[in-house]
Amino acid sequence: MMNIDAFMRCAATVITATIVLALAACSQFEPRDKRFYYRALWNFSLRDDLAELDSEFNGVDFGHSNLYEHLLLTGGNDVSAIEDKARQETLAFIATKPRLNPNEEAIAPTYMKLAWRAQNTFDEAHALHRATYDIVVSAEPDKDRAIRTVLAYYQDSAYAITSKRLDHRRLDQFAYSKAFRTRFPLFNATIWSYHYLQVAVYDPLQSARDLAAKTQAVRPILATYRHYLDQPPVAWTFMPLTAELSPIFAARYPELANIFDNLHMLHDNISDILTSERLPTWEAKRAEIYRVLNTYYLASADETNPMILGKSQEHHHE
Amino acid sequence: MSRDLRRAIQLMVVALLALPLSPVSALDHDNLDPNRPIGMEDAYAIPKGEIGLEGGVRFNDRREGRTRLTFQPQIIYGAFDNTQIEIQGDLFTEPRSVVGANKSGDLHLGVLYNFNTETLTLPAFAVRVEADLPTGVNSTGVDTQLTGILTRSFGRLRVHLNAGYTMIGSPQGQERPGAYRAVAAVSYPLGYPMSFRDTLIASIYTRQSDLRGQTNHTGVEIGIRHQLTSRVVLDGGLGTEFVGPSDRAALLGTVGVSVGF
Repeated sequence: MMNIDAFMRCAATVITATIVLALAACSQFEPRDKRFYYRALWNFSLRDDLAELDSEFNGVDFGHSNLYEHLLLTGGNDVSAIEDKARQETLAFIATKPRLNPNEEAIAPTYMKLAWRAQNTFDEAHALHRATYDIVVSAEPDKDRAIRTVLAYYQDSAYAITSKRLDHRRLDQFAYSKAFRTRFPLFNATIWSYHYLQVAVYDPLQSARDLAAKTQAVRPILATYRHYLDQPPVAWTFMPLTAELSPIFAARYPELANIFDNLHMLHDNISDILTSERLPTWEAKRAEIYRVLNTYYLASADETNPMILGKSQEHHHE
Repeated sequence: MSRDLRRAIQLMVVALLALPLSPVSALDHDNLDPNRPIGMEDAYAIPKGEIGLEGGVRFNDRREGRTRLTFQPQIIYGAFDNTQIEIQGDLFTEPRSVVGANKSGDLHLGVLYNFNTETLTLPAFAVRVEADLPTGVNSTGVDTQLTGILTRSFGRLRVHLNAGYTMIGSPQGQERPGAYRAVAAVSYPLGYPMSFRDTLIASIYTRQSDLRGQTNHTGVEIGIRHQLTSRVVLDGGLGTEFVGPSDRAALLGTVGVSVGF
């Protein structure tokens, strides 16, 4: 009779082999691929030195994930669940002035399982956003070099969004496009308000000489942002763009500006996919999110990406 | 309350108070590592490139025998994609009385590899391979351990299964040449939608006794991980063993800290 040691060894081998074979055969197998942020002395400078702005970004992190989870679980057709419940939850969280960014997997556990690859793409782009704020706020003497270093670190990732200019007008003309903003104008305007805040602060932060000046420089933007949260700018027809709100930053770092604008466009695409009945099942939504991500947004698709604008082409925003 | 237990609790409180309270920066409090604070883990490795320093103090108030303290310093490193390596060296009070694989002062090396992230249809799977080198007190052989880990979430509730087998390189006296261990655990983030700084963890486990002829240690543990700052996570846990040998734990307790950078 087989003794228990031999049995356990045999069982462990069989279980391991079964897991490996099952994973290899499964279409839903996805690596996690979490990557740590670029380690530097300026990490968390924004949190430490300009907490008023940092806490608003922590609220923004909540808003995106909470929206996606609610859209997914309500099928994208419950106006009250999104415009009232989800939006009010977001505003309530922002009002707590959170000192730390929230655990997004706890906010949107279903969405994370649906489209982890897209979420990891967001996470890395958001880390790039954070790194650039930290550098700008920090006492780093060569900010330009530091920004180019974090950009290179970001672009070394398989999850990096392209730094090329994409044709946002065409990216907003899929069959399901505009579904989210049409059905949920308040929350859409709230999302665009986040994006306003994220890109509008670059020029004031860069032009202010010291921390006190930087603190003062972002106050009007924070006031405008909070006004937008109270009264969402539903008259806007397109998301805010970096070059329009921080033209100096965009001219100096066009690759970063493109990455952030493309990131925000990807957010809009995914909101539309999660809202639209044209993609009626979770599997269909997942497939479309991954198709759009892999074909039009990831830098790995640059050579074949039909949405990349030529140097002479302008954006065609409405 | 016994004098040993009082002393153990005093030491743990002192250790907790000595922790850095100024922002230093994140081991994610929702990423569960063994002993931080209870004996279970989830299927995810720390992010590639992250370094974590972890430490804790664990007391075991045994039903027979003196209360034992364990100091648990550990370094973990996200060395590759989905892979973390660990170096640990537990230090026990009364080191000469310790039996089983983990001797006081043994150099413990481990690798955790996460196969996949959880999706709508697949749980997350991981495998852990460990070796205890005989650098400790009364330690003579290289002990090895293989553990399979599964994590599956249901809403915000996450369920974790750990099943492992330890092979003792050079068993002494009545020590078993090998022993299995199985843990079922749940974790839940507290505070949604207003706060995201705490994760509650509870487990039930059984493991073969260190010595032949004894019944399995079977018990329950509960713990909490609290994100103190961007980089610092505090943890604390309690447990008891309701079945097992006569020297099984009446009360287990742990406090610890993890610093990621």
